[in-house]
Amino acid sequence: MREEIMEILANLRPDVDFENEKKLITDGILESFDIVAILGELNDAFDIEVRVGDLVPDNFNSVDGMVALVKAHREED
Amino acid sequence: MRQNVLEWLETVCEAYADKTAFSDENGAVTFAQTRARAQAVGTAIAEKTIVRKPIAVLSGRHCLTPASFLGVVYSGCFYAPIDASLPLSRINQILEILQPALVLTDAQNASLVQKTDYAGEVLFVEEAVKTPADMQRLSQIRRDSTADDPLYVIFTSGSTGRPKGVITSHFSLMSYIDAYADVMQISDADVLGNQSPLDYIAAIRDIYLPLRCGCSTVIIPKTLFMTPALLFDYMNANRITAVGWSASALTVIVALQGFDSGKPEYLRKVCFSGSVMPCKCLRVWQDNLPDTLFINQYGPTEATASCTYYIVPGKVRPEDVLPIGRAYANYRILLLTEDGQPAADGAEGEICVAGPCLALGYYNAPELTTKSFVQNPLHNAYRDLIYHTGDIGLRRADGTLEFHGRRDRQIKHLGHRVELDEVEAAAASTDGVQECSVLYDYGTETICLFYTGSAGMRDIAVHMRQTLPGFMIPRKIRCLDSLPKLPNGKTDLSALKSMI
Repeated sequence: MREEIMEILANLRPDVDFENEKKLITDGILESFDIVAILGELNDAFDIEVRVGDLVPDNFNSVDGMVALVKAHREED
Repeated sequence: MRQNVLEWLETVCEAYADKTAFSDENGAVTFAQTRARAQAVGTAIAEKTIVRKPIAVLSGRHCLTPASFLGVVYSGCFYAPIDASLPLSRINQILEILQPALVLTDAQNASLVQKTDYAGEVLFVEEAVKTPADMQRLSQIRRDSTADDPLYVIFTSGSTGRPKGVITSHFSLMSYIDAYADVMQISDADVLGNQSPLDYIAAIRDIYLPLRCGCSTVIIPKTLFMTPALLFDYMNANRITAVGWSASALTVIVALQGFDSGKPEYLRKVCFSGSVMPCKCLRVWQDNLPDTLFINQYGPTEATASCTYYIVPGKVRPEDVLPIGRAYANYRILLLTEDGQPAADGAEGEICVAGPCLALGYYNAPELTTKSFVQNPLHNAYRDLIYHTGDIGLRRADGTLEFHGRRDRQIKHLGHRVELDEVEAAAASTDGVQECSVLYDYGTETICLFYTGSAGMRDIAVHMRQTLPGFMIPRKIRCLDSLPKLPNGKTDLSALKSMI
């Protein structure tokens, strides 16, 4: 799953070093439109529904945050 | 008649001296504090330069920045705000065009200024605010000022790869702010929520409406726009009543299902601009905020942020297309056909603007200025300059204007003006890129780059980030074996479009 998420991210923002960046939101590396795109891709790829309540910096600041978010949703659904 | 924006500041200080003028997540300043800082900074600058000179201001997006701008104004000079997060080469380009008499910055941006090619004098705001205000000197400067003195230079995308510095007078700014305050019914009871960077044209409302109306501006942290639930909490905690946002800020909130978590309870007035607002999205806002006034604004930086406004009269249907409405007070709109004749009602023409709202031109670019601000082709009896927006419009029988797209390759993306040719030039300058072409996908609001050559996608994206602002970087990059061609050898853009 992690690899799949990495691929999605690399396609959206090839210039960002997702392996090492841990403050994607807090440091303003991602823009709001990136979040919209990432959300759409994650929802489609993993058949989940990330909601507005999930949109907090912790869930999107790093790849690991996103992996945890997707996992939590898959267990829930 | 008002001649100078500082008259607003001084008048507002009589009634609201201790009221908060600007605030951010870390602090706040009152009107009196803003004035005191500005007068000290103005005195410090006046000691170093003569009047009517450009001062570059490199400052962050926080509540003290407006006082730095106003300090420049007190000195009789005009300010050019530069966003410190821009790539270094972009900042160098701007400084080269501007040739500032002085760079005003703060300790936080000191190392950045040092890295630029700029070799002139640097003034630190932390030092400047300690200067005792020389009121006699500042009054003398004011007595010698006129309403058409330049106030600011704001840089936008230029199709040749060089940014264009739009220089605007006090009178133009005051015309717009007066007209906007009227239409939006802004009063001293309002709290404005700032979304745009402070170096961007949209911020002039958030900076000057408090001076004009006695309202307050809250600078909303940028990251909150990615987390709508937290954004609405912040807006409610600050009791924000009025916003002037890019249309894309509103659409992102809907795309992220922001209203599932709550809503901005106090928000009564919303003006959106920068790109075409999809009615499907506006309807979501209207359904959640049924008593709120919604206004669609249209216009370029060259006409002081605007031209026209449209008060949305009722709930829209998803399939509706919003008109851009009618001219603001002190703005005049002409629709001209390609041969310079007035377009008939119901027929398309280029939207041209006239009136005191017109910018003084492009800074240090006389040829570009002469080309863009031209004599009204309908007569030659007296000097009557108009600005060609490059936008196509249509006037309905009832006088309402509709927006019908562009005649060139300029787009509006995330509320910013972007010349696709400038993006293309930056991509083409990457090592290993042979040929490239840049398109805009309106459906997904994505800038797309197609290229041939040995460069990797990452190489190109990283290279472009060194020269262009973040919003101009293509989000879709595709390598092709060859670009599709038309019989005349030019790139076949419609074939590329179908590949998006």
